[in-house]
Amino acid sequence: MLHDVYKSVGGFGSYGMISMIIFIVFFALLVLYAISIRKKDAEDFSRMPLDDFSKESDEIQDS
Amino acid sequence: MENQTFYYDNKIVRNFAYATLFWGVIGMVVGLLLALQFIWPALSFGIPYTTFGRIRPIHTNAVIFAFVGNGMFTGIYYSLQRLCKARMFSDLLSKINFWGWQFIIVCAALTFAFGITTGKEYAELEWPIDILVAVIWLVFGANMIGTIIKRRTQHIYVAIWFYIATFVTITILHVTNSIEIPVTFFKSYPVYAGVQDALVQWWYGHNAVAFFLTTPFLGLMYYFLPKAANRPIYSYRLSIVHFWALIFLYIWAGPHHLLYSALPNWAQSLGVVFSVMLIAPSWGGMVNGLLTLRGAWDRVREDPVLKFMVVAVTAYGMSTFEGPMMSTKTVNAISHFTDWTVGHAHIGALGWNGFLTFAVLYYLLPKMFQTQLYSKKVANMHFWIATLGIIFYAVPLYWGAITQASMWKEFTAAGFLKYPNFLETVTQLRPMYATRALGGGLYIIGILLGVYNLIMTVKAGTFVPEEAASAPALVKRSASREQGEGIHRWLERRPVQFILFALIAILIGGLIEIVPLYLVKTNIPTIASVKPYTPLELQGRDIYVREGCYTCHSQQVRPFRSETERYGEYAKAGEYIYDHPFQWGSKRNGPDLSREGVVNGRQYKPNSWHYNHMLNPQRLNEQSIMPVYKWLISDDLDISTTAKKIRVMQLFGVPYPEGYDKIANDDLMKQARGIADDLKSQGIQVEPGKEIIAMIAYLQRLGKDVHAAGNPTATISGK
Repeated sequence: MLHDVYKSVGGFGSYGMISMIIFIVFFALLVLYAISIRKKDAEDFSRMPLDDFSKESDEIQDS
Repeated sequence: MENQTFYYDNKIVRNFAYATLFWGVIGMVVGLLLALQFIWPALSFGIPYTTFGRIRPIHTNAVIFAFVGNGMFTGIYYSLQRLCKARMFSDLLSKINFWGWQFIIVCAALTFAFGITTGKEYAELEWPIDILVAVIWLVFGANMIGTIIKRRTQHIYVAIWFYIATFVTITILHVTNSIEIPVTFFKSYPVYAGVQDALVQWWYGHNAVAFFLTTPFLGLMYYFLPKAANRPIYSYRLSIVHFWALIFLYIWAGPHHLLYSALPNWAQSLGVVFSVMLIAPSWGGMVNGLLTLRGAWDRVREDPVLKFMVVAVTAYGMSTFEGPMMSTKTVNAISHFTDWTVGHAHIGALGWNGFLTFAVLYYLLPKMFQTQLYSKKVANMHFWIATLGIIFYAVPLYWGAITQASMWKEFTAAGFLKYPNFLETVTQLRPMYATRALGGGLYIIGILLGVYNLIMTVKAGTFVPEEAASAPALVKRSASREQGEGIHRWLERRPVQFILFALIAILIGGLIEIVPLYLVKTNIPTIASVKPYTPLELQGRDIYVREGCYTCHSQQVRPFRSETERYGEYAKAGEYIYDHPFQWGSKRNGPDLSREGVVNGRQYKPNSWHYNHMLNPQRLNEQSIMPVYKWLISDDLDISTTAKKIRVMQLFGVPYPEGYDKIANDDLMKQARGIADDLKSQGIQVEPGKEIIAMIAYLQRLGKDVHAAGNPTATISGK
């Protein structure tokens, strides 16, 4: 089926095929890595913007 | 470990914030003037400096590089220091970045008004300013990378990855697209021609949107959205996939700006496929942003900062869905060259960039001035008026685009074009243009309210130029990977290696697309009848570029029956090989001109028509929205540059005979006298040395080589 899809895209040819393979391999590795991150690390990193050591000005804004 | 005390530089953030507001108002007011010129063309005031072709680049550059650019620097200088827990690397570099950028903006505005332009969209700056841009951009990069290196945090947060990708990619794009050979201090020709120039330009143009208007703002979203919502980012894992997939894919998508053009089919198809795939990472980012607000939606009702952010992220989602759809050939056949593109661009610029910029300003200015926002009520008014403005801006343009595209393509039962006169399809859009201007006006009113609110906030507060902070020093770790440390975890603490990986990711797509076009000769089949421009035509072409004619007229007939019936033969790659720069355009406010000179062709007009049209378009047709160009009739053509221009063209391989530069002006005057004599026979007295003669010569050349497969009206000595 994939082959039919490629054939229907005019001039896609080998350039397109190579490009798709490069991306799919790259994307698959990326997803695997993302899944493998420890939950605690991911939570710590996602909190980084909240931890900027300038609480005084935050309090002024929130007051 | 003991805490170190240090100080964030808020002065540089404040300066960029003020510049953002100032240039935002200027850029959008110029945009409003452009919108009004569609309704009242007399608003070009009959002078060169305010014609559509000259002020359109002022508007686009002011909004993109001045408003959004300064907004980007504001957010980066604020967030980078806090994410790195370090002051900027160098106060001097910060100041050079700020003042250098403002100087570039002023130079851009002045040069465009004076018609000094390269004629390439969003890259119109001439070579001395291009060099200045490169220098200032490198100063910014050095300052940013220096700050990252001296940071006090081990991990480099995802927002900074986006800043790094922005710096790396814009450097490559700007340098590659700006390779040009100077003719004079204010004039150069790009080394690329025709199809190659088009591909490089739209590789740049599309990725300027990607890496100047998108990635830095995604970085800002990843910092300011969690801050404003006081929630951690929804998924750090998703942000990793979002970042790499986005920068890897974006760079391939440029050719979707050139569908149905003379660009080889394989390059167009690559552009389509990767553009459609872009939806995935783009929406991954949008979802990550919106889900960060989980549990905080009640605050969106009250907090103007969050309101602006929600609409910004939603607009990002809308435009990143719409963009790939417009990249498919089916939709592109309708949307390209119409106002759909303009509407799409403004959803991104006004919604995504504009609203996120104001969200950032509403967030950080009260903090730096140790006060609260002057008026939430005024901020809410700004929000609603500007939101209405975006809707009033975009919806009529979508409506107008479908109306116009349908009119272009409609045939009668007898098989003739139903609307053969292009102007009919323009006058039909006047109500839409009026509503668009209303939408733009509303958005500006919103911005003025925002500026007022922020001025009052600043007045009420006390500025903290040096904000104290403290953090433990960075513990030095091994430069190589530690046991159990994954490659990406290692990259996240190694900025230089991270930059190299990002560079590789963006180079793969660029190289696969562009290099074959230079190496494979069959990509651009030559056409024997295509000859170099005569000296007069070359000078006329430069006037065409100077006046920004490409902002309203395309030179690229698509292979549709509706276009070949209206204009003539469809575009072929080989006919543009001497076009430095290409002038295909991206929007048709007027008809395509690439077959304008084909005698007995569908678009052909005599010399006298062109003369009268430039003198007063409304006298030929009172519905016309074209500005007057009467100075072309009174101004002398500068022929002192002809020899230099010929020599530069010879450098590019344009086959003018050896030594032709010395006699080029003789040929120029000979051809000019022929046109002047023809005009005289029509009762029009004009000297051969006027600019209008060169412009007519150029327009009358367009399409001739392809159609006649024979003799252009003028010849080059020695050929």
